[in-house]
Amino acid sequence: MALTEERPLALTTGDEVTVDHEPLGVFRRPTATEGWRSWVTTVDHKKIGIMYGYAAFFFFLVGGLEALVIRTQLAVPDNSVVSAELYNQVYTMHGVTMVFLVIMPMAAAFANYLLPLQIGARDVAFPRMNAFSFWCFLFGGIFLNTSWFLGGAADGGWFAYSPNTGVVFSPSHGLDFFTLGLLITGIASLVSSINLTVTVLNMRAPGMTLMRMPVFTWMVLVVQVLLVFALPVITLALILLLFERLYDAQFFNPEAGADPLLWENLFWIFGHPEVYILILPSFGIVSEVIPVFSRKPIFGYPFMVFSGIAIGFMGWGVWAHHMFASGIGPISVAAFSLSTMFIAVPTGVKILNWLATMWGGKLTFTTPMLFAVGLVAMFTVGGLSGVTHSVAPSDTQQTDTYYIVAHFHYVLFGGALMGLFAGFYFWWPKVYGHFLGERLGKAHFWLMLIGFNLTFGPMHILGLQGMSRRIYTYDDGLGFNMWNFVSTVGAFLIAVSILLFMANVWTSRRKAKGQPAVGPDPWDSRSLEWMIPSPVPEYNFDEIPVVTSRDEFWTRKYGEDENGKVVRLHSADEVCQKPGATGIHLPSPSYWPIVLSAGLPFIGYGLIYSLWWAALGGVLVIAGIYGWALEPADDDENPHGHDDHDDHDPSGDDAVAADEPVDVPEEAPVG
Amino acid sequence: MPAPRRRLPSLVTGALLLGVTLLATGCAADAPLDIFQGDGSESQIINDLQIPVFGVAVIIGILVLAAIVFIVVKFRAKPDDDDLPPQTHGALGLELGWTLLPALILAFVAVGTVVTIFDLADAPDDALEVDVYGQQWWWGFEYDVDQDGTADIVTANEMVIPAGEPVVVNIRSRDVIHSFWIPALNGKKDAVPGRTHHLTIQADDPGIYRGQCTEFCGLSHARMQMRVVALERADYDAWIENQQRDAETPTDADAAAGLEIFQGQCVTCHQIDGVDEVEFAAQVSGAAPNLTHLMTRSTFAGGIFELYDEANEGDPYDLGGIPYNDLPEQGTFNRNQLEAWLRNPPAEKPMAPDPTEFSQYGRGMPNLNLTEQQIDLLVAYLETLK
Repeated sequence: MALTEERPLALTTGDEVTVDHEPLGVFRRPTATEGWRSWVTTVDHKKIGIMYGYAAFFFFLVGGLEALVIRTQLAVPDNSVVSAELYNQVYTMHGVTMVFLVIMPMAAAFANYLLPLQIGARDVAFPRMNAFSFWCFLFGGIFLNTSWFLGGAADGGWFAYSPNTGVVFSPSHGLDFFTLGLLITGIASLVSSINLTVTVLNMRAPGMTLMRMPVFTWMVLVVQVLLVFALPVITLALILLLFERLYDAQFFNPEAGADPLLWENLFWIFGHPEVYILILPSFGIVSEVIPVFSRKPIFGYPFMVFSGIAIGFMGWGVWAHHMFASGIGPISVAAFSLSTMFIAVPTGVKILNWLATMWGGKLTFTTPMLFAVGLVAMFTVGGLSGVTHSVAPSDTQQTDTYYIVAHFHYVLFGGALMGLFAGFYFWWPKVYGHFLGERLGKAHFWLMLIGFNLTFGPMHILGLQGMSRRIYTYDDGLGFNMWNFVSTVGAFLIAVSILLFMANVWTSRRKAKGQPAVGPDPWDSRSLEWMIPSPVPEYNFDEIPVVTSRDEFWTRKYGEDENGKVVRLHSADEVCQKPGATGIHLPSPSYWPIVLSAGLPFIGYGLIYSLWWAALGGVLVIAGIYGWALEPADDDENPHGHDDHDDHDPSGDDAVAADEPVDVPEEAPVG
Repeated sequence: MPAPRRRLPSLVTGALLLGVTLLATGCAADAPLDIFQGDGSESQIINDLQIPVFGVAVIIGILVLAAIVFIVVKFRAKPDDDDLPPQTHGALGLELGWTLLPALILAFVAVGTVVTIFDLADAPDDALEVDVYGQQWWWGFEYDVDQDGTADIVTANEMVIPAGEPVVVNIRSRDVIHSFWIPALNGKKDAVPGRTHHLTIQADDPGIYRGQCTEFCGLSHARMQMRVVALERADYDAWIENQQRDAETPTDADAAAGLEIFQGQCVTCHQIDGVDEVEFAAQVSGAAPNLTHLMTRSTFAGGIFELYDEANEGDPYDLGGIPYNDLPEQGTFNRNQLEAWLRNPPAEKPMAPDPTEFSQYGRGMPNLNLTEQQIDLLVAYLETLK
């Protein structure tokens, strides 16, 4: 048990701190486990994950609506559905929303929900911090979008190149909302990235060595490390821009001796790792889904892990390929051209390893598998067009055309989003105890695949025909008409497919009412989260499992028979944990994360409009920090709805694992 | 789990075929901004590199997608087959192979890429130089004919060059970042304020080569277009000669009245060589295109409106059969469009002028609330600027 002693778990079994006053005397410690209050005060990684999912999906609808505005405007030449002014805001916010408020938090939803389950932990390392991250993201996203009603949204593109984003050229407050909003959501991502990194490194179940972790957990870990280093760069850049706009500082103004290229460099030093931040979680999801539905282990696990790490590492050395036309000189161009080419190698390894996983398998095309294979195919197209960008001289022809738009939608929609949908269909029964409908799911997949290719496939041609990005309209006679129209039709097909998904969520939930929940292991899966009941009980694991191999859960079900043939030895029910455990202490809910994060948008409004609002925000933040600091991690008066832990009676058949929570001194979560 | 459906392969094959067809039709002839045109030495150098790269990428894409289709068809689970497939965990040799093979292919591409990068960076020493200025939302071109350090020709929207000769373009910006791009001649290069970037272009044949600002530069980014007009050397010399003339004082009464309106209003931002500036305007004069030879251009308002009707017809490399230098004589003046422009410029092109304050950052032409009569007189004057 040496392993466990080094790995504290997120539950208190030692002496508890007693406090005989209510923190700050403002709020009673929340105790609700159901109803809206339980969601507002929760520190449970699963509830937080679900909230991330719904919030991100809400913003997905907002960003999707913006996409439809873009496509409607561009359906025919010289169109005037929206003005140039509005179009510039819409395309800016479409990008900002999809990157910062959809794909990142959707990936965070999966990471939050699954990561502790996949490593056999009861929660993340800092549960209240986790809640704080979510509320920061939500409030930051809402703050950003209120700009629509307060004089117009940001209009400088998500890349916000200076000096076009200075007050002279963008006098509305849109860009102030952009900088402040992204700073607030940046806090969310930064806190969460540290939280999840610590969780993976410190809270793995006994025996869960790094090289036994599921690929999804690995990819999430790589992403968190990328975030820890990338977010400070964008934070710095945004603060410089904020100071330029609000306080007349001069960081990018050539007339004051500065250089606009500083912004470009800072933005892309963040911006390119960001691309991998967006895609790697989906690579992880697909690496979970494909083995399950191929009934084979992932092919070349070490290659999958190390190629992910390599992508994460090399991702730092390619940022200037966004700047091949910006005049950085032939030596820089050559260097970044080469580094960009060779980042295709680890990416290619991943694709071929997924194919090799499927090779020789017995494939069943459930909806999650369809989306996973969809990712492999669509990402291949996006990856190859990416290689053509790395050829710098060619890129000076392609850059800022629709060819680029096609490329990154194949990567981020065909890649990241397909992967996230694979994840929704795959883990839905784990989270809610019922499947999403297969018929509607398949309709969703095929319609989305067709719509996606109709929307973004023609953009390759449009780009090669020279259609520029970020233009609110185009002239007749440039050869752009037909494919733009096709693309618009495709966009509306995607919209319908999303409606099918929502209908699926709705109808499958209604059908499942009154039915017993699906078993813990509906897909014959491989990793630990399938070993516990669906929906997952609040405490995750009755006993923390002791891990002896990669695909731990699978190896508990399957083994060699007397002839050396691998066969099923145990049913899932024999191996899985039963619901109804008692005596497990969990971190208590808290009001303070939401109070603290609620102060931040007020500070934002204050900096834009009147410092009085900032004062109010400051009071909330300081109150939040003090309340938080004075509040014990656990509420001794309300031991969280379970019996006292002394009553704990381990009932599992694995004696070693059963002893573990009692014997090992464990640290309280400090978040 | 429901039984798998059989329609997957046909759809993937269909998508694949669609993709190939799409790429094949990529170089449509009627797309004047197409990146594969290769009408100049530089764009040909790029084509020599990028066409094979695109080819290899398409082939690899087809192979991988075909492999996916094959795997999906071949390894589909049979109903009621509950046996596990062989549990392979990896194959080191195979994986090393498909790590190294792409690296090897890329190494070839890398060599060609690096060579081409430095090829394109080489600028001939004795080439003709043109100074290009990007500003919201039009391109200005300045020629220092006698090489004394000051511009002798200041024009807009259209850069005239001699065909078959290399031209070095010095790209600068007067406000935000723009990008100068004539796809038929070379890749793009950003105009970054505070910096000068150089780009070599050479049009092999006389013709009109269209371009578009390709770095987002604010409100009317879409409406910031330009052309390179390549003329035979003799025509080019004639053009240079004519452009250096000052504007003549109009003799016609209407045109003379138009000049007065011009001096009262337009001269604040627009210069016409040979016309005295009014004193208060000196600070911002020149913030808008120099109009000395307005009628010698084929377009106005940032290159988005044709100044002559015929210019709309025919193929994009040609002005309806009229030689460029003969446009003022032979072209049919597109009077309606110019009048519409003068009536209310922001209605014709999105702009954000600040009518209360003349700032050095010109953000477009304001509505001057001209009367119809004033517009007629102004147009009468502008027509004399040949």
